[in-house]
Parts: sequence; C-alpha cells; structure tokens
Amino acid sequence: MRDNYAVIGKSVPKIDGRVKVTGQAKYTGDLKFPNMLVGKILTSPHPHARILHIDTTEAERLPGVKAVITHKDVPPLKYGISPARWDENIFCIDKVRFVGDKVAAVAAVDDETVYKALKLIKVDYEVLPAVFDPIEAMAEGAPQIHDEYPRNINTEIHQHFGDVEKAFAQAYHVRTDRFVGQRTYQSPIEPHSAISMWEGGKLTVYTSTQSPHYFQYYIARQFGLPMGDVRVVKTFVGGGFGGKLEPTGLEFAGAVLSRLTGRPVKMFYDRHEMFAHNRGRHRQIMEITSGVDRDGKILGVHANFIMDGGAYTSLGIATAYYAGAMLTLTYDFANYKFDMIRVYTNLPACGAQRGHGAPQPRYAFECHLDMVAQDLGIDPLEMRLRNARKPNTITPNQFKINSCELEECIQQARRLSGWDAKKGKLPRGRGIGIAVGSFVSGAGYPIYRTNLPHAAAIIKVHEDGSAATLYTGATDIGQGSDTVLCQMAAEAMGFVYERMKIVAADTETTPHDFGAYASRQTLMSGAAVKQAGEEVKKQLLAMAGEMMQVAPEELDCREGVIFVKGRPEVNITFGEAAREFFVRKGPLIGRGAYTPPTLGGTFRGAAVGTSPAYSFAAQISEVEVDEETGEIQVKEVWDVHDCGTVINPALLHGQVHGALYMGMGESVWEEVLFDASGRILNPNLAEYRLPTALDMPKITSALVDSFEPAGPWGVKEVGEGATIPTMGCYANAIYDAMGIRVYSLPLTYEKVWRALREKRNADFSQNRQMAEAVPATPDEAARGDGR
Amino acid sequence: MRMVRFIREGGKAMYLPDFNYYCPHSVQEACAILADLGAGAKVLAGGTDLLIKMKHELVVPKALVSLKNIRSLADIGYVEGKGLILGARCTHNDLVNSTLLHQRYLSVAEAAHQMANNQIRNIGTVGGNLVNAVPSADLPPILIALGAQVTLVGPGGERTLPLEQFFTGPGQTVIAHDEILTEVVIPDQSTTGSTYIKFGLRRSGALAVVGVAAAVTVVERVIREARIVLGAVAPTPIRAREAEERLVGNAVSTELLEEAGIRAATACKPISDIRASAEYRRDLVRVLTKRSLRRAIEQGHV
Ligand SMILES: Cc1cc2nc3c(=O)[nH]c(=O)nc-3n(C[C@H](O)[C@H](O)[C@H](O)COP(=O)(O)OP(=O)(O)OC[C@H]3O[C@@H](n4cnc5c(N)ncnc54)[C@H](O)[C@@H]3O)c2cc1C
Repeated sequence: MRDNYAVIGKSVPKIDGRVKVTGQAKYTGDLKFPNMLVGKILTSPHPHARILHIDTTEAERLPGVKAVITHKDVPPLKYGISPARWDENIFCIDKVRFVGDKVAAVAAVDDETVYKALKLIKVDYEVLPAVFDPIEAMAEGAPQIHDEYPRNINTEIHQHFGDVEKAFAQAYHVRTDRFVGQRTYQSPIEPHSAISMWEGGKLTVYTSTQSPHYFQYYIARQFGLPMGDVRVVKTFVGGGFGGKLEPTGLEFAGAVLSRLTGRPVKMFYDRHEMFAHNRGRHRQIMEITSGVDRDGKILGVHANFIMDGGAYTSLGIATAYYAGAMLTLTYDFANYKFDMIRVYTNLPACGAQRGHGAPQPRYAFECHLDMVAQDLGIDPLEMRLRNARKPNTITPNQFKINSCELEECIQQARRLSGWDAKKGKLPRGRGIGIAVGSFVSGAGYPIYRTNLPHAAAIIKVHEDGSAATLYTGATDIGQGSDTVLCQMAAEAMGFVYERMKIVAADTETTPHDFGAYASRQTLMSGAAVKQAGEEVKKQLLAMAGEMMQVAPEELDCREGVIFVKGRPEVNITFGEAAREFFVRKGPLIGRGAYTPPTLGGTFRGAAVGTSPAYSFAAQISEVEVDEETGEIQVKEVWDVHDCGTVINPALLHGQVHGALYMGMGESVWEEVLFDASGRILNPNLAEYRLPTALDMPKITSALVDSFEPAGPWGVKEVGEGATIPTMGCYANAIYDAMGIRVYSLPLTYEKVWRALREKRNADFSQNRQMAEAVPATPDEAARGDGR
Repeated sequence: MRMVRFIREGGKAMYLPDFNYYCPHSVQEACAILADLGAGAKVLAGGTDLLIKMKHELVVPKALVSLKNIRSLADIGYVEGKGLILGARCTHNDLVNSTLLHQRYLSVAEAAHQMANNQIRNIGTVGGNLVNAVPSADLPPILIALGAQVTLVGPGGERTLPLEQFFTGPGQTVIAHDEILTEVVIPDQSTTGSTYIKFGLRRSGALAVVGVAAAVTVVERVIREARIVLGAVAPTPIRAREAEERLVGNAVSTELLEEAGIRAATACKPISDIRASAEYRRDLVRVLTKRSLRRAIEQGHV
C-alpha cells in the first residue's frame, strides 16, 4: 500500500535547497530596511549584584545614539516561556542574577556607535554573594536568588506509580548508580537576531525563531497588545535546537527601541552573548536505582535527580518533568518513582535542547542497565530485548504507546553491526556498545494553557491551476519541514511536489501553528496539511465530475491528473479542473486543523511527555580507545529507527546524522565551563568543542517497517530521537573496550585516561595481593605488569 | 591559557577599537614607521591572533603596520650553504603545500597541516605564530627541533639568533617593538628524522594540549644526536635535555624510548587550565615523547 504513494516516501530535493546553497536565502541578519538602526544590550559583569544606579546620560549624548533604555522605559511585567514561573524582566530592576543578565540597551545609527555607547553607560553595583552549584544553592544560608523561591528551589517533582519499594523488596538484584550530566549549549550556527518595527500601533518582528506563535503570544502579552497587532515573521533560520523557542531581549528591547525612535531596529547576539543567553542543556545529578528479577526483567525503577537550572526558569519546568517522564518509554516495567528538584543558581538559564530532558537520564539509565546486566551475567543486548516495550502498551506514567518496533530496531542493529561476532571479541582497545531511546512526536499539550488547535494549514490553488501554495505556521529551521509538508500537501491533493509553493511561519499570513519543538511538525502540522489537501481534492473532483460528466466517487487524482478509476485514459488535468473551479466558484482553498486527542493521566505533571505517538531507536557504536592517552575515536555507528512512515528518506537520514552529531558532541567534547565568578570560560567555538567533520564516524542509518495509526499516513518523529541513545551508547562501548566506566558527561579523553590509570592501579594491587596468596601463573603475572 | 585571557567582562564590546593603518612596501620602511610611532604601533600579518586580541581589547594599538605589500617576505626558498628559508609572511598553507618542505622536512609541512582550520591556515603566518609566542603554538617545537634560526630586522640593522633563544615567556620574545621578523632558516643538517605530534581535544580546530617535536640522527640503530622540544607544558617551548642526553650514544630500544619519555615528563612544567590538568599533560608528554621519537627514528622526516 505504501509503495503506492506518488509524492511522499521520495527523496525530493529540498524546496529551499537552491537558495540556500547559492547564498540567496536571507536570514534575519541579512535584512536591511530603510532608516534601520542597530541595537545592542548591555549586560551584567557580575553573577549576583544589586543595581544601585544606572547613568545613561553620557551614552545619550554620543552623536548617533538615538535611544538608551533601562528598566524604567519598559513594562515591569515578568515574562518567561513557562507560565507557572514567569521570572524574567526585559531589563533587571533591582538586581542582576548572572554574568550576562540584561541591564540596558542602546539604539544607534551603526554598530560602531552602539558599541561605543554601551561603554558610556555607567552602572553602580553592590556585589552580592553568588552560588553556582545546585546542592550548595539549596543549603541553609545560601544566597537567595529570587525572593519568591526559598532555598532556591524552582521546581520540585515527586511522582510514584505502582510500588517501587515493594518491587525492590521482591527483586533478585537491586543496584544504585549515580551519574552527572553537563551543561551544554545548542550552538546554532546562525546567531540570534531580530528586527523590530513599531509603526502606527502595530509591531512587526522579523526574527530567527522556532515558534512565531509563542513569540507573538509573549510579545503581545508583554506590551499589552492584541495578538492581531503583533506580527512575527520567521526568516530563514540557521538552526535552533531548542534555543530559539522563546523570545529574547532582542525582541523585547528591540520593540521598545523601535517605538521610541520610530525606526526599525536590528539587534543581534554575538557568539559570547549567545552562550550567555543560553537555554541549553541543564547540568544534572542523576541517581538511578532499579530492581530486577533473576532473568534481568526490570521490576521497578527509582530516578532521583537534581538539576542546575541557572538564574531563570526558561522552559526548565518541562525539562525537569521530561527528564523523568521519558525514562518509562523504552522498557516495560510497572513500578516507577521519580523525584526531581530544579534549583536556581547564578549561572545562565537552561532550557530545552534537542531531546529535551531525555538524553542525560537516558545516558544514566543505559549505563546503569549495562551494569545490572553485567552483575547478572546477561549480554547487554539480550537484556534490552528482554525488557523492550511492545506495541499497544501503556507506561506506568500513563503514556499510551501505539506503534513500537523497538525489538526489531534492536535486532536489526544487532545484524547490521555484527554484534554477536564482536561483543567481547574485539581486539584490546576496541569496544562495542548499545543503547536505545524514544521520543515524543509532538507534545500532547501546548506550553501555555489554551484550547487552540496545535496546527492549521491552508492550501490555495493558483487561479490558472499551475501551482498550489501551502500556508502553514509550521517553522522550518533547517530541518526541512517546508519540504516535507509540501510533499504531504501534493500527495493529499493528487498534485506534484515540483509545482508546490509555500508561505510559512508568518503570524499574519499563515494560520496558527505552535512551531518547531518536541518533534511535532511532521505528525501535527502534517495532519493539518493532509486535511487541507484532501479538502482541495474533494472540491476538485466534484468540479471534474461536472466537467467530465462522471460521478466524483468514480474519479481519483494523482500527480496532477484527474482520471476515472480503472480507466486512466479518461482524464483531465488538475490545472484544467482548478482553473474551471475558479471561473465558476471563486478561489479553490482547502483548510485543515489538528488537535491531538485528550492524552495522559490526571496526576500532577501528567501532561508532560504525552504525545499522540512515540518514536523508538536502537543505536550501536564501535569505539577505539587509546589506552595511554584516553583519546576516543568513534569508528562506526548504526542507528536503527522506528519512525513510522517516511515522507522524505534523504531528509530523515539527515536528521539522524544531525541528531547523532549533537549527541556525539555532548558525549565526548562539549561542555560550558565557568570560572569561580560565574563567567563563561569558553564562550566561543574554539574552546566549546563541537565535533568537526574529521571527528565524525561512519554512520549507518536504517529503518524498520512501522505504521503509526495516530499520524497522517502513519508518520512519527525522528528529529530528536537519535540524540537520545548516543551518550549511553558510547559510554557502554568505552566500557566494552577498556573495562572502565566514566560516571559524568562529557566522557573526555582526560576522564578516560584517569579512569584507565585508576583501573591499572586497582588491578595492580589486586594482582599483588593474589600473588602473595598463591604463586602467580605466568599469565597473571603478565597481566599485572603495568596494566 | 590563551583563551582564558579572552574572557571579557559582561557587555564589553566585541568591536575593533580605532587605529591608524599603514602598509609599507619594504622592511626598512616598515621599521621606520614602527620606530617613529613607538610602542603603540603593532605589526599586522594575517591578523588571526592580533585582531582577535584587539576585538577583546587585550591590546589596543594606536596603529597597525601591515606586511601585506612586502612581497619578499612571502617566499620559501633554498640557498646552498645556508639552508631552507621560510619568509615570515608565508602562510601555514604555504608550508603545507611547499614542495621544498615535502622533499626535505615533511615534518614541518605536517605540523602546519595540523593547525587550526583551512581558513586560518590560508591567512595565518609563520612570523605571526612565532612572535605571538603562545606556549601551545604548533610551529615552534618542530622548528626548534630542526635547529632553526630567525632573522630580525630593525632600524639599526639585522640580527640572527637560534629560535630556541627567541622566546622569553608567554606572549614574550626578544623582539624589539620596531623590529620585524623577516625569515626563519632551517640549516642544512645531518638529522635522519623529525616529527611533531600534536595532542588536541578534537581532530581539527583544537589548540595543542601538548605538542612534542623530535629530531634525531640515527646511524646503524645508534642515536648520535637527539633534540626533543615540548610545547604547551611550560611558559615557552622547552628542550627536554635530560631525555636527549639519555638517548645519545645508545642503541634504539623500547626501554630507552620509554625512559626518555619519563625524563621528558619529569622535566616539563605544565599548568592546569580549561583544556587539561597539569597531571594529564605531564603523562601525555611521556607518551608523546616516546611516540615521536619512535616515528622520527623509524620513518624519517614525517
Ligand atoms: C580559529 C583559530 C585557530 C587557531 N589554531 C591554531 C593552531 O592550531 N595552532 C597554532 O599554533 N595557532 C593557532 N591559531 C593562532 C594563529 O592562527 C597563529 O598563531 C598564526 O600563525 C598567527 O599568525 P598571523 O599572521 O595571523 O599573526 P598576527 O595576528 O597578524 O600577528 C600576531 C602577532 O605577531 C606579530 N607579528 C606578526 N608577524 C610579525 C613579523 N613578521 N614580525 C614581527 N612581528 C610580527 C603581530 O604584531 C602580533 O603581535 C589559531 C587562531 C585561530 C583564530
């Protein structure tokens, strides 16, 4: 049946591929408007300080400066992307809470003047004690970062499903391990930027965003404007990965500067400022306990986590919930307890990064599971097969899983990688490891409470029938949603991809959509597009029926040709029928909207992690470790995904490669580091080490046959799923290679070197003890020698 | 360490401060301008170090004197009796692609190839790498191992000294503010092999955590002469003399190289920074010394 699709399932070229590779595509930073000013934000040099006085007079006097603003010039209303914890101000009012907190902004005629003006703003601070560690921040007497949150606790979660204590009591083996995940930053290649124009009561913002809708909603709220008076337009976007989901100081300050000056204002973050704005992955301390029976079947799991949230909430409440919620997806167990505390510190705020909340706990769990398997003498892959989730099941935290081919993913990864021939049999220094993952295909509920549909689409067929335009709020940030949705629109209408046009992610011209996050667009925006396409097709077949004197039910339309079913030689073109439709009835338009069904349980936080469908993946990797230096080389990775029906194989595999690349960076190379005063030590691409092309291994991205009943044509997510298993997968491969376990991310060369040295020392003293007890065999003596 | 110094105060400008710009056509003219302007003037070559420092306001020169019009500084040549001459304005990619280097000292071309990334290699220069004098710089160790000399030209004339004596501390050298480094000379020599091993934390675009260069003269498996130079483990590149002494006069063996490695590790004075701990660096010196010796002994100038 699936082979029968005309447009979907094919690797058509990206709809914006040509303009991107030729450099014609315009990003926000490329845009110029007449009279445009340049703006920039002054930020705090202290991690925690009271603002005593701000003097802007000198800056205002500098020729070319058009406006200087502080908290006095902007609405005092607190904002944030998590409605339960609005805790940010456009500019700090009483105090600053991290190095990089927003204090003032300038608009001037050019870059040079702006930078000069920033230096002329005088801010007097009273420096306060600061705290950078979540455990210290919770201690009695720690500096209080927000008055409203005692002991700096931002979010506390305690969930219990089934009875974990009872499960542990009945278990054959119970084990606890503790891991630490590091702070990372999304590092999109394109810096954040925004151009704001406040003209005649209407605010227009061109911006690099993952969600025009949330930007529009929060900007309108901040300035007390009706949403209809705020237009947010996405330009081409050079990556977001979670960091561009919420408006920044650039949009808020830019709007005010534009209103004051009456001119368009362009603002941007440089690389350092991007790191300070952050919203990347949280640092997280993760303790996991599980109880298993004699055969390795998991009976119960307790996850006990603490997160460093940084100075503000950002999307962190969701992150905190996701961290625990998604642990139940991959393995089938009935008893689960999740405790989490997200803590404020005087560091940049953390938020959602690709795989939102899931990758670090997954690293912890997959390492832990390998150790449990080792305790029981079970092969790690076999351990996962024994516990793998089955289709049509419900997790202990009440997520309904429809399609699930995790078992087949594991089996196929096993075959592709040659697991059975390699596990335990590779030469010294080489190792193989496995980990699995799962992710939502869109969140079951939006970020703020609303009953709006999650996605909507309009298709307008051109009056002469030569093309069709899809209007969608879905947000292409490089992942290719414009392409995939046009394929879907063409398929649903019976049209051709090559004649599709798209207008997307402009709150004024396109219908509402929540945007690019939680891997939602192929399923959710796709469902709306399918409905719109089918509405076009229905009207078109009715018209063709009239024209051809055939009942519409007897007609079908495919690749731009309307024909009588079973007699394809009797046909007219899509274009002919569309043109005639316009002549007789006016514009030919199809509409669609998508709202997910009611999902999940009723307990506190039950909404986070719900989704109409879940992707599953198994990853196996082979690594080589230099036993003298600790250097890690990833040789090869096999990723097998269950992502439902595939709309565009090339883009899908591109997503797997990209997600794996990010997971890989977080595994070994990336970490945001701070000095003792909370200043970022590596806010640049030299010392924040994203992997390079030379570091990338050979990747095999494979798929299993799968169909998701909740998704249009059977689709589900892929964009974030492949980030999730990677860290655990490498950690397990390193263990297989060298017999060492690194309990914190990233698994740097030095940490591996250190663990190898500790193991050598331990082995050495153990061997010596044995040698003293019994005469050493030549074999043992050899192993003790320097290893 | 270098990057640590780049940290700016929050909000401090990432914008080039104002400066006057000169682009003279001869070394003499350049020296005269430098002498005239005093300490506030700086030489500009590729700018890959200098302009970044200026953007971060770590240096704020009143004037830049560009070498871009002084063509003679961009040559690589061989002069009988003198040796192989690298003009100070040669880019790293000039070294990477030099046939002369490929024939005589592939090790230098390989060291240049391990630097930065292609964009930086296309514009960053030999002179800049030396005068900038960062302890982790990649060219000094291999050039010192090969006994390179540098020529400095000032308003008062010219002087030549061993590169080994050029560096005095992080970011510090013997060069006077009105002097220009014009060329690096690798003298003719009897060494049978040389190499540089850089240990960075990723495959491209990573500064050296440790760099070890070795140059050896081996005759019938006996080491006649050895020079080992360590980068990124002391305020300047340093010779591992105790290790060298252990080698000379002895037949090549695994134990010997191990021992040289241990001696080099003992001699170095690493610090801890965001890239690595002192302890790790020291052990890397041990491993890389032994590996670089093995490679120079077995494979020639690579
Ligand atoms: C992204 C990036 C990656 C890098 N990676 C590496 C790396 O892997 N390894 C490495 O060693 N370096 C690396 N560097 C540093 C830099 O590229 C090199 O040190 C380069 O060789 C500097 O040369 P330049 O011509 O750009 O020097 P410039 O920036 O022009 O000058 C540097 C200094 O030398 C002085 N100077 C330059 N030429 C002369 C001369 N002829 N006479 C007198 N004074 C002179 C200048 O006044 C200035 O003080 C990297 C830099 C960047 C930006």
